[in-house]
Amino acid sequence: MTNATDIGAHDVEMEVDPTAETLADEKKNQDVAAVQEIREQFRQIEKGVASKESRFILRVLRNLPNTRRKLNGVVFRNLAQSIYPAGAEREAAVALMPAVEKDATELPDVPKKQVATKAPIAEVDAYFYLLLLVKLIDASDLKRAGISADALMAKISIQNRRTLDLIGAKSYFYFSRVAELKNSLEGIRAFLHARLRTATLRNDFEGQAVLINCLLRNYLHYALYDQADKLVKKSVYPESASNNEWARFLYYLGRIKAAKLEYSDAHKHLVQALRKSPQHAAIGFRQTVQKLIIVVELLLGNIPERVVFRQAGLRQSLGAYFQLTQAVRLGNLKRFGDVVSQYGPKFQLDHTFTLIIRLRHNVIKTAIRSIGLSYSRISPQDIAKRLMLDSAEDAEFIVSKAIRDGVIEATLDPAQNFMRSKESTDIYSTREPQLAFHERISFCLNLHNQSVKAMRYPPKSYGKDLESAEERREREQQDLELAKEMAEDDEDGF
Amino acid sequence: MANVEALYKELIAEWAKRPPNTVKCGQLLDQLKVALVKLAFLPTDGNDAQSSKKQLILARSVLEVAVEHSVLSKDLLAFERYMAQLKCYYYDYAKIIGESESKYKLLGLNLLYLLSGNRVSDFHTELELLSVDVIQHNQFIRPILSLEQYIMEGRYNKIFQAKSTVPVEVYSYFMDLLIETVRDEIGACIEKSYDKISAKDAAKRLNLRVPDEIKAFGEKRQWKLEASGDYSFTDRSVKPKELLPSEELAEQVLSYARDLEMIV
Repeated sequence: MTNATDIGAHDVEMEVDPTAETLADEKKNQDVAAVQEIREQFRQIEKGVASKESRFILRVLRNLPNTRRKLNGVVFRNLAQSIYPAGAEREAAVALMPAVEKDATELPDVPKKQVATKAPIAEVDAYFYLLLLVKLIDASDLKRAGISADALMAKISIQNRRTLDLIGAKSYFYFSRVAELKNSLEGIRAFLHARLRTATLRNDFEGQAVLINCLLRNYLHYALYDQADKLVKKSVYPESASNNEWARFLYYLGRIKAAKLEYSDAHKHLVQALRKSPQHAAIGFRQTVQKLIIVVELLLGNIPERVVFRQAGLRQSLGAYFQLTQAVRLGNLKRFGDVVSQYGPKFQLDHTFTLIIRLRHNVIKTAIRSIGLSYSRISPQDIAKRLMLDSAEDAEFIVSKAIRDGVIEATLDPAQNFMRSKESTDIYSTREPQLAFHERISFCLNLHNQSVKAMRYPPKSYGKDLESAEERREREQQDLELAKEMAEDDEDGF
Repeated sequence: MANVEALYKELIAEWAKRPPNTVKCGQLLDQLKVALVKLAFLPTDGNDAQSSKKQLILARSVLEVAVEHSVLSKDLLAFERYMAQLKCYYYDYAKIIGESESKYKLLGLNLLYLLSGNRVSDFHTELELLSVDVIQHNQFIRPILSLEQYIMEGRYNKIFQAKSTVPVEVYSYFMDLLIETVRDEIGACIEKSYDKISAKDAAKRLNLRVPDEIKAFGEKRQWKLEASGDYSFTDRSVKPKELLPSEELAEQVLSYARDLEMIV
């Protein structure tokens, strides 16, 4: 950059906005704060490694969405100076950094600015690269992101340290994300499988959870349901995976099951995924899951409740599905056809199109059911007319199948050419109510058991003396903060 | 390589004859299979696959013939095996060797095969691999999808009509299998939905032209032929009185008790 342009730029700045200076100052202050914060995080990680306590690292990672917003080129350069000694390693890191706006490379007033003399420990190194990778993805600099992701994977692969597991898990996710953005997911499959094997052997549960999810996403991206299904069957998803990972896994599982026509399983998994997902954030995820739930529910022969379509934040995106539901509910084949052709491209984007094509016979079933309820005797010709079918013969076959599938209670009389509805049987004389009741009871009991399992019990606390009032207040304060932090994290984690 | 090519030419020549000599083709295929394994057959390494483009195409063509051959000789197990190998060439190596002309013809054949065996779940898994455009407009795939919809809806009469309009000759064997499957389905439907039906009507619904065939079919499914010439199903539709499943109920109640005990 030449001097002249530099001065020119400076002049313009002065003319345009007198507050520019203060803005720049403010930005600098923010950067300073960010550098200090991240350095503190590095110290936390070191502490965690030294004491072999993974929760310090977990805490740092939980803050990632917040940290992510504060990153920029200046911050990275400062951090690199403080953790890498001068030399090839620092150069390599600097080469990958996002560009910096002019005249802002230095932050003179960072207190205690030290220059590193020895190489950082593996965890700090990996965390730094993780931050770099995240920033590059945000800046959509895919070329550099790809290089730094590869570098990060190389760093993680050669280590065998349990304290690195959590950072590794997060890294896999972003590594896979970069590949997806670059549209080269196919190429990383072998690598992910290799890492999954290693993670399983080393009992790295978080790593396993993330890797299995990445692989499933990878397979489903190419609609390889068969392979995805086999992966799920051959691997054990770790119980202790975090909620967000569980939600993702259950969603993928739901998709696989739905494709394989196991609708009730699919429904179960999808509902669980929705429950495990964050309640207030991750709108995109909830929309996607909700759409799939609606379609699966329709395939099961149920009609979703109207409330579902009215939730704030989902209402707009579910519009097409609302139309679809109405068409199925009314058993109106023409309207169903219209909805499918009108919203076809949208359904394709949502990966629900192939499922929706399967819905056609549900529409017919609903129509037949309502005919069965309203007529005690009707000829196949009339049915064909109402269903807009080609011939009475079609209608007779369809009704015959509906009777066998238990959709309606009726008999056909070929000699006199009509369908006669049977008196509906008293449902309370069967086992049906007992079975429904049993299902609800076991659901409640299961829910209770799961919540008991989900609680955390501090080790060896039963022998301790009762805490004083002050201690309790302090602890409650801490708990409150932690809860807040976790809630925020849950919302940002998607 | 030259050896394999010569064998392949011989196979193509033999295969082009109408009707082809299945035994001779089978022998040639066996030789070819052995020869192919020595070349790059189903390579797993990307670079390896890149360098042997010609061999890949050759292997694919051989497999395509092999699939049709297995249909002709009615060897379903072989069909499934060849199809599994061929799918790698269609999906995984497509970037290297491009699309084959008969890709959709054979994929449609595979779909029909799955449908004829009533393997609906596999059918849909395969279908997911195809793009929406292909599903809706391809001349080989589209008719198969319609068949599946007819079956799901119960419009079995349309299946019988579709037999005469199969896209290619190879499809007809599986079409016959499909019709057998469908006939069984119709039989099951008739049992449930009619109190009685005359043999003539039943034959019409099952699309059985010869009177003896309906007799054989009825005997196979143990239908009762009355003196009037009607099949009667009234005794089947009367459900036997349900026994109280005491053991199951006891188990359920015990599990409630155990769970409640844990809560309190």
